[in-house]
Amino acid sequence: MENVRPAPESYSDEFVLNIGPQHPATHGVLRVVVTMDGEVVKDAVPHIGYVHRGLEKLFENRNYEQIMPYTDRTDYLSAIANNFAYVLAVESLMGQEVPEKAQYIRVIAAELNRIASHLLWLAAYGLDMGAFTPFLYAFRDREEIVSMLEDASGGRLTMNYFRIGGFMYDLPKGFFPKLRKFIARFGKSIDQLDTLLVENAIFVARTKGVGCIDRERAISFGMTGCCLRASNSACDIRRDIPYSIYPKLDFDIPTRLAGDTWDRSWVHIEEMRQSLRILQQAMDGFPEGEYRAKVPKVIKPPAGEVYSCVEGPRGEVGFFLVSDGTSKPYRIKMRKPSFSNFSALAEILRGLKIADMIAIMGSLDLVVPEMDR
Amino acid sequence: MGNFVYDLFYNTDVLLKAWTTSAHASWAARGAPIVVLDILFQLLAAVAVALFLVLNALFIIWFERKISALMHMRRGPNRVGPFGLRQTLADTIKLLIKEDIIPDTADKSVFRAAPFVVLAATIMLFVVLPFGKGMTAADLNVGLLYFLAVSSLSVIGILAGGWASNNKYSLMGGMRSAAQIVSYEVPAVLSLLSVALLAGSLKMGDIVHAQPVFGYAVLQPVGFLLFLIASNAEINRGPFDLPESDSELVSGFLTEYSAMRFAFFFLAEYTNLFLAGAFGATLFLGGWRGPFLPPFVWFLIKSYILVFVLIWIRWSFPRLRVDHLMKFSWKVLLPIALLNLLVTAFLVKII
Amino acid sequence: MTSIEAQDAFRARFPDAALQPPDAALRASVAPETLHGHLQYLHDQLHFDYMVFVTAVDWPEQSRLEVVYRLFSYESKSAVVLRVMLPRDLAKVASVADIYRTAEWHERETAEMFGIEFVGHPDPRKILLPDEIDGHPLRKDFSHPNMVPLPEVE
Repeated sequence: MENVRPAPESYSDEFVLNIGPQHPATHGVLRVVVTMDGEVVKDAVPHIGYVHRGLEKLFENRNYEQIMPYTDRTDYLSAIANNFAYVLAVESLMGQEVPEKAQYIRVIAAELNRIASHLLWLAAYGLDMGAFTPFLYAFRDREEIVSMLEDASGGRLTMNYFRIGGFMYDLPKGFFPKLRKFIARFGKSIDQLDTLLVENAIFVARTKGVGCIDRERAISFGMTGCCLRASNSACDIRRDIPYSIYPKLDFDIPTRLAGDTWDRSWVHIEEMRQSLRILQQAMDGFPEGEYRAKVPKVIKPPAGEVYSCVEGPRGEVGFFLVSDGTSKPYRIKMRKPSFSNFSALAEILRGLKIADMIAIMGSLDLVVPEMDR
Repeated sequence: MGNFVYDLFYNTDVLLKAWTTSAHASWAARGAPIVVLDILFQLLAAVAVALFLVLNALFIIWFERKISALMHMRRGPNRVGPFGLRQTLADTIKLLIKEDIIPDTADKSVFRAAPFVVLAATIMLFVVLPFGKGMTAADLNVGLLYFLAVSSLSVIGILAGGWASNNKYSLMGGMRSAAQIVSYEVPAVLSLLSVALLAGSLKMGDIVHAQPVFGYAVLQPVGFLLFLIASNAEINRGPFDLPESDSELVSGFLTEYSAMRFAFFFLAEYTNLFLAGAFGATLFLGGWRGPFLPPFVWFLIKSYILVFVLIWIRWSFPRLRVDHLMKFSWKVLLPIALLNLLVTAFLVKII
Repeated sequence: MTSIEAQDAFRARFPDAALQPPDAALRASVAPETLHGHLQYLHDQLHFDYMVFVTAVDWPEQSRLEVVYRLFSYESKSAVVLRVMLPRDLAKVASVADIYRTAEWHERETAEMFGIEFVGHPDPRKILLPDEIDGHPLRKDFSHPNMVPLPEVE
């Protein structure tokens, strides 16, 4: 298919290994062509586009309400974050007010989704490293979250939950008791998963000092999210460009200095703890009110353009929306974190061993449909 | 009659001896060639071992699946047969009726031979395993040496399988496995040397008899630990399952094998697991010795305790990277094993 | 550098920079030839170290392609947008992949979707689309036999 850079004839030890598109350890359908010298990687060329669905072209033919389910499916593990970014874009262009109760529900759903996504990251990462047990422990907790979100939205993975102006329905009756029980229990689970995988001596040996990326290069590659925060950069959209009710909430931004794989893993675990804090505060401060504002029957934002972003589990999820005043968008560009995070792979991987590639790709927390859209 | 039943369980070796002697006598009285009788008895022993091997494999695979399931808060197989006991049988039948795919570009004769080499090495180890008092197929004078030598033969099969598949992934898996097994042989040998020093003999039967009540694990804790870790690496399991790391190299050297050939590798792996437990029990836990219960039962209990520990380790830890594996063997285990040998030799001399 | 300082410095460099609500980013139009120099200045002097995205918008009635560069500065927490208008039939602009490594992939995607040539790009292969596809899908006049009109919904 695409041009693969051939190995130079003079090196007899070099060989080209093709990893993917079908491979148990790549998180989705992607392909990396690795030029290796024995076990050491000399170059890694990623090929993506296997899941390209032409969503951006598709959106130009859909109404604003019809686009909402599509946004879930770009990154199905952080469906709420995608919904959030889209809804913020459209509402800011329209100048639509959203009632405070709806804002609180949005943040609760977003943080629950963040925890669920990080749990799945941990599960899949453990599986890649050969630790089968964290997968099941993480999914036990994820099951609780996903069933809560199912009660609220009707969907377990692609929730299609947010609407422009709020929500379709209010939170169901049993939601807060479930949430309370979850928050009470989950802190211990994080510790358990931490001990089982991230603090495990073998895991530490495999990930400490492996796949370092420093702050300048990380920012230059456009990395955001956990990957950036692990590289000595306390950057979080919830703090830098606050949206919704995040200015009212008190939480820390976990940061690490070395930028290696272990730091990225540690940041993921810490973020789950911080999300728990946010959930507690959101639940305590939950207001009364409407769950949906009055929205016009046909959503027709005035002509203009806007970019709004949220902090998704993987990084900055943003929607660049150009409207021409009709009920269909003129152009939507989705800015997805995995696209930029993955572009740094060759840079990080050069000079490391092939076994490290799996560890690094796992720590970057990639979701391929998000890259390809 | 009651006496016979008691003897059947507790004095099996005496019974067998009496039977073979009487068979010899009656055969000789009729003038028939004794050599045929000997061959028949050997065949009988071989059949008994093969039967045990198959039944054991059926059980141990179920055992692993159930234990790992319980560790994962799952149920494990529970539909096919009571408690899922017939699951392994069903899986074996499934494997047998699958299509046997041999890659076009593979080296066909080597490809076909590889699983048998691995299985042969495994089966050959049953020869020196003391199943009970006097129940060893052939209690060789150099039993321990035989064990160590034959257990390394499986490397040939793995390398052959990896190379003959004509597949980069398999080749890498095969080479990694060879490196791993060879590296971990050394600490294993040294830890067993200490055992041989203590027992004063290489014969398996003597080693079992020479052990104190709770086995050499008490006298040689370091050696026991070393042997457990080294044999875990030898059988390509647990944190050392790089050759078949299914998330990195698809299935490593097993990638191209399907149906019955895969079943042979699979069988060999689980039998190796049992053998690691069995030899650990024999050499460190006192083998078949123990009160009240028949020797055969004690042997099985002790073997399966170690098998349980190995299963536990496998499901708890992530995989070691290949250079960590090598470093661990040569830089950590080897010095400890040497030290252990030194201390043992010293203590044996003065005590 | 604070947000106000960054904005003032930006306005100094681009006198016609304007805010376009509801977006909080100052936006400026630049000529294609000057783009690389401007971005180099923004990266080095004003510390806009993070390029959020590079994309394009097709304006067929103006016969122009608008390439949009959005930059963010972690130091001053401010965002700016640079826009370049290119003629549709000959869309060429200098590649900024040497300043921002993230532009390598973003420019590849924009190039294949809109038919823009980024001069000096280190690796101008297609990224998301298969090699066999003709044309540039995100252009407004793109059509493909597989594209079927949606049924009408009230």
